[in-house]
Amino acid sequence: MSQLAPSLPFHRVNILTGTRTARLIEDPVEYAKQIAKAERPLLVLGPRLMKITLGGRLLIEYALDIAKAKNIPTCATATVKSKMVELGVKPDSVYDVVEIINALKDPEWKGVRKEGNHDLVLFFGFRTDLGEQGLSVLKHFAPHLKTMTMCKYYYPHADFSLPNIRKDEQWKNILEGIVENLKKE
Amino acid sequence: MAELKEITKKLKEIHEKIKAEIPWEPIGHTPMPEIPDLRSWDMKLLQTYKPFYAPFCDLCCFCTYGKCDLTEDRRGACGIDIGTQQARFVLLACLMGCSAHASHAGHILDVLIEKHGPDKKINLGTSVDLEAPNIRTVLGLKPETLGDLKIAIEYVYKEIAHLLDSTHMGQEGSCLDYESKSLHAGMLDHVGMEVADIAQIVGFNYPTSVADTPLVDLGWASVDKTKPVILFVGHNPATSTVVVDYLQENNLYDKVELCGVCCTAIETTRYSARAKVVGPFSRQLFFIRSGIADVIMTDEQCIRTDMPQEATKAGSAMIAALDKAMYGLEDATEQNADEVVKKMVEEKKHFAILDPKKAAEVAVKVAMTIAPQRRKEWITEQEAMELAKRCSLCGMCEQVCPNLFDIGKGISEVAKGNFDVIKEIFNLCVGCGKCEEECPRNLPIFKIMQVGASKETWKMRTGRGPVMDTEIRTVGAPITLGTIPGVVAIVGCSNFPDIRDIAEIVDEFARRKYIVVLTGCSAMVAGMWKDADGKTVYEKYPGDFDAGCVVNIGSCVANAHISGAAIKIANIFAALPLRANYEVMADYVLNRVGAVGIAWGAYSQKAASIATGFNRLGVPVILGPHSSKYRRLYLSRKEENEWKVMDARKRQIVETNEPSPEHLAYVCETKEKAMVMIPKLCIRKNDTPQGRGIKLNHYISLYKKYMGGGLPEDLPLYVRRDADIPLVYKKEVKAYLTQIGWKPKEPVGLPTLIGTYPTKVPLDSVIH
Repeated sequence: MSQLAPSLPFHRVNILTGTRTARLIEDPVEYAKQIAKAERPLLVLGPRLMKITLGGRLLIEYALDIAKAKNIPTCATATVKSKMVELGVKPDSVYDVVEIINALKDPEWKGVRKEGNHDLVLFFGFRTDLGEQGLSVLKHFAPHLKTMTMCKYYYPHADFSLPNIRKDEQWKNILEGIVENLKKE
Repeated sequence: MAELKEITKKLKEIHEKIKAEIPWEPIGHTPMPEIPDLRSWDMKLLQTYKPFYAPFCDLCCFCTYGKCDLTEDRRGACGIDIGTQQARFVLLACLMGCSAHASHAGHILDVLIEKHGPDKKINLGTSVDLEAPNIRTVLGLKPETLGDLKIAIEYVYKEIAHLLDSTHMGQEGSCLDYESKSLHAGMLDHVGMEVADIAQIVGFNYPTSVADTPLVDLGWASVDKTKPVILFVGHNPATSTVVVDYLQENNLYDKVELCGVCCTAIETTRYSARAKVVGPFSRQLFFIRSGIADVIMTDEQCIRTDMPQEATKAGSAMIAALDKAMYGLEDATEQNADEVVKKMVEEKKHFAILDPKKAAEVAVKVAMTIAPQRRKEWITEQEAMELAKRCSLCGMCEQVCPNLFDIGKGISEVAKGNFDVIKEIFNLCVGCGKCEEECPRNLPIFKIMQVGASKETWKMRTGRGPVMDTEIRTVGAPITLGTIPGVVAIVGCSNFPDIRDIAEIVDEFARRKYIVVLTGCSAMVAGMWKDADGKTVYEKYPGDFDAGCVVNIGSCVANAHISGAAIKIANIFAALPLRANYEVMADYVLNRVGAVGIAWGAYSQKAASIATGFNRLGVPVILGPHSSKYRRLYLSRKEENEWKVMDARKRQIVETNEPSPEHLAYVCETKEKAMVMIPKLCIRKNDTPQGRGIKLNHYISLYKKYMGGGLPEDLPLYVRRDADIPLVYKKEVKAYLTQIGWKPKEPVGLPTLIGTYPTKVPLDSVIH
């Protein structure tokens, strides 16, 4: 078994982004605290959430638990809306990933609930290459907001990222821990 | 006064070059445009479709002051900011792409002028009078001979040098101006491609003015490995065509198998339908490592840079046939052919041979000598299982995979005798070989993957070249009115999320009566799928440019015939003069021709320049997820943007609130989402109510299919009046529009951007 560096991008195509890299957090309590601190968070849902299962549940179900725990508005990208409809949940907004990022770049944008642009954006369920490029856009052109990722890979262009996680059980515990702690916040 | 003299002198020179005295059409405002000449048009586009930059890296490392950190509004030592740095990178990519095609064009033109003379007439058959829509539109030149094409390519060379100069440190300081330059490079690329393909059609007597081109064999299993096999890799047919000639002249064609990877394969089948197409770029390394090719001949573009090493590993002989990629090999151009054959056979040396005739003779002789001595068998399942047992499941292969999949899982299943996973994975493989390089146990992963590779063979219709003028007369009206819902141009390389996506997209839109055209690697993979009746899309759908067709236009350089078809609609159908009239053509295409490009597997810099050229002409392009790495998109924000156009009939600027087309360069992550975006990006302001109804019918139907029912969130923006609502969804749409308080709006009689920005083009120019 090779060494899995926690703070280097898992997929090497994303390696060495430059000078500013994400703060790695693996404690669900601290992750939940960062989310709870935000006034207008947004959860952006990617299509991989519909394909990956974790502990017998689809990943999207964890994502929706997170949204529900703190009443975080959601943005369904790609065809995620179809799965949400199937699960009986209406997304707060439907944009494709480059479109929502394009809107988030604008500090004057009113956000999906028309309450002002978001101050923390959580990304969950994207291809690492596309996700990393999208996070780079916000890192460079959206200083008015912070970004966070929920996938099991380290995303250097984010502000806050989970580490590379080899074992699904560990990832599941972190996600469940975030949900539990968000409920307490 | 001196400046005026200079301008007059320059214009006189241009007029001489474009033979202004030949009055086939009045000369427009931008003959042989230079960087500033179409800048206003670009800025107008960029006002709506703003550049969206996704930096790959925080740094600039171009000069010796650097590396410079460009994060948090920092500028580099030269003063550049992060956005402008991305724009500079994009321009460089477009220039690489444009140069590749232009250089290919220049080379093949020289070869063919040497063969036929500069006065060889351009004749593209009885159905193509408008032979060079890009050259005519951009330069104002109507090329009549191969020699005339030299004028066009020399113009492209000059502009490339000028553009490249602007990327030097410490010059251009505006991302928008860099974008204008990229758009210029993209436009030049279509000129260069057009030169290349016209020259090839004329010089090699390729099919033209015909829709029903031959169906050729596709897939590595179609290659008869019992014969000596010569594999062509690259794009330039200067050598492969000579090999065909050599075999025919020496009565050897039955004895030697010719096949190709990437665009040279398409080109060779246009010359001889007996050649086989192995597959797209992503199958290059896989096929080479199979060892089936006895001789590999490389030319240019899209060939692996480690070809000699790979050829040696596979026991194949290799000849570099063009100067652009000589790999450090000994140049045997001046050596005796039999001596070179001897060295290649006995010493297993590879050579560069830049004389096509000599290269052909050597290739054939070497192939015929070494083939009987070589073992060209696929690995057996038992052998694969034994090799796969060495996998330690370390996961290193997954970490380096550009398509982000877990190859180790497939290998470990092979070890257990289960080949299903590796078969599935093979469809995702983009063929880079990084997994094998990274494997700490040196597992021959590509060899193991042979058990997962389909041994199926397919058919591909060989490239047919330009869309005929007669076809444009038939489809011009339905395309611009919207009753043919759109032209879907699927182009570019094979960096697909899944190789099966292309055939699915083709089938979906051909079935819906869109015009589907393909080029390059995408044209190949479209054929690599069969329906329940065992038919490929080329056998299932007709090859004429009309509703419900599937047309293989040709190789990468044939992309110029797609942009050319859009221009032809404006010129032949709408009777707008095209000569040196780029803005009028692009404005027409943007507002009235419902065409969209799909570069689902874009990989090369050429794909960047081709797409950017389409963008300047007003054609939006959808890119696959990997293309976020090109660093730049052109996106609008439909709610925030102004969507004003001039109604040329009323001579009034009107706010349409209609985002059509919504984006110019757009990335999406899944093919399902692309399927929803395609019909939307075919919507144009010029659609008649009937046409709009048809387009919205497809948009809604695909939205329902892939987005879980309901109606598209932005549907109200595209419904102008009740008559636009498709009949089948009338009740549902009307109820929804009533609920949100939608108000009808007047369609625009003759939509144009001319008159909404500073331009020398008068409004009357767009009224036909």
